[in-house]
Amino acid sequence: MTTYNRATILAGIVVGVVVGGILSYFASANPDGLEKFQQDVGAERPVHKGIEAPPIAFKEYNLKWLGGGFWANAAAGVAGSLAVMGVLLGLGRLMHRRRAATDP
Amino acid sequence: MHIGSGFLSPPVWGTMAAVSGAALAASLALAPKRLDERRVPLMGVMGAFVFAAQMVNFPILAGTSGHLGGGFLLGILLGSPLAIIVMGSILVVQSLLFQDGGVEALGANAFAMGIMPCLVGGAVRRLWTRPRPGGLAFVFTFVGGIVSVLAGATAVTLLLWWSGSLPAQVTLIGALGVMDFIHLWIGVIEGLVTVAVVRFVLAVRRDAVIDAVPRAEAKKAAA
Repeated sequence: MTTYNRATILAGIVVGVVVGGILSYFASANPDGLEKFQQDVGAERPVHKGIEAPPIAFKEYNLKWLGGGFWANAAAGVAGSLAVMGVLLGLGRLMHRRRAATDP
Repeated sequence: MHIGSGFLSPPVWGTMAAVSGAALAASLALAPKRLDERRVPLMGVMGAFVFAAQMVNFPILAGTSGHLGGGFLLGILLGSPLAIIVMGSILVVQSLLFQDGGVEALGANAFAMGIMPCLVGGAVRRLWTRPRPGGLAFVFTFVGGIVSVLAGATAVTLLLWWSGSLPAQVTLIGALGVMDFIHLWIGVIEGLVTVAVVRFVLAVRRDAVIDAVPRAEAKKAAA
């Protein structure tokens, strides 16, 4: 891995910590656009049978073991950002390798 | 704007899963031609940024909040196919790990927050990859941000309507009016934030944003 790429990935970690871990704690607790719409027109209750997400360590954007509060939110924000980056670097690597294999 | 679990009827979510699945497959087929080794870290970092930024709800109007969609931004920086892959990955993580967006609604959410805004972003992209992006790039990005959010909001409303999830006394036009009025203001923020972030990323990592092989040359080589 080049220094260039290492610096970029480090930037991703910083973004995850600052935006996902810290800034998100100060997010507005108001309903978001779709939730507000559903309240306004009276469509807040699900009417169909959905598919349950697997039970895991996070309850919405909080780490369950930490309850609510700053650290529960920060853990979720950082973990989520890093999970997304991990998935994409893995996928990107696969696609890059495939390109290298098909090039003459 | 994530549609939660239990709001879409099986025919609607099934159709949207098929549509978004096809778009994702097409994006995966198109993507390798655009991947160079600098684009991969940019994909990862921008994915992390959009995930994190979606957690930061800002207040708009009275008693409402909005957050960045990000598909439009990704479309500009990465081109539509890679942007669709990044948004798909974010939505899967949000749905499976954080219960944000119903699992069965993944296709619908990928369409409204991924595919459509990513395509609008991809259309605006070439204004920014020119040597000196001018005022035109600013204007089209601001307007494009609004258009991309309204397109998603309109799609979500239609899907809820077709699923029978809106009360009988609500007309479709009325519902679209309420939903799109709220999202007009979210779109304004989307446009402004996108201009700022695109300018920042171009300032620090321009070579990762610009295609290593310009479009015209790539076409010639393929012919």
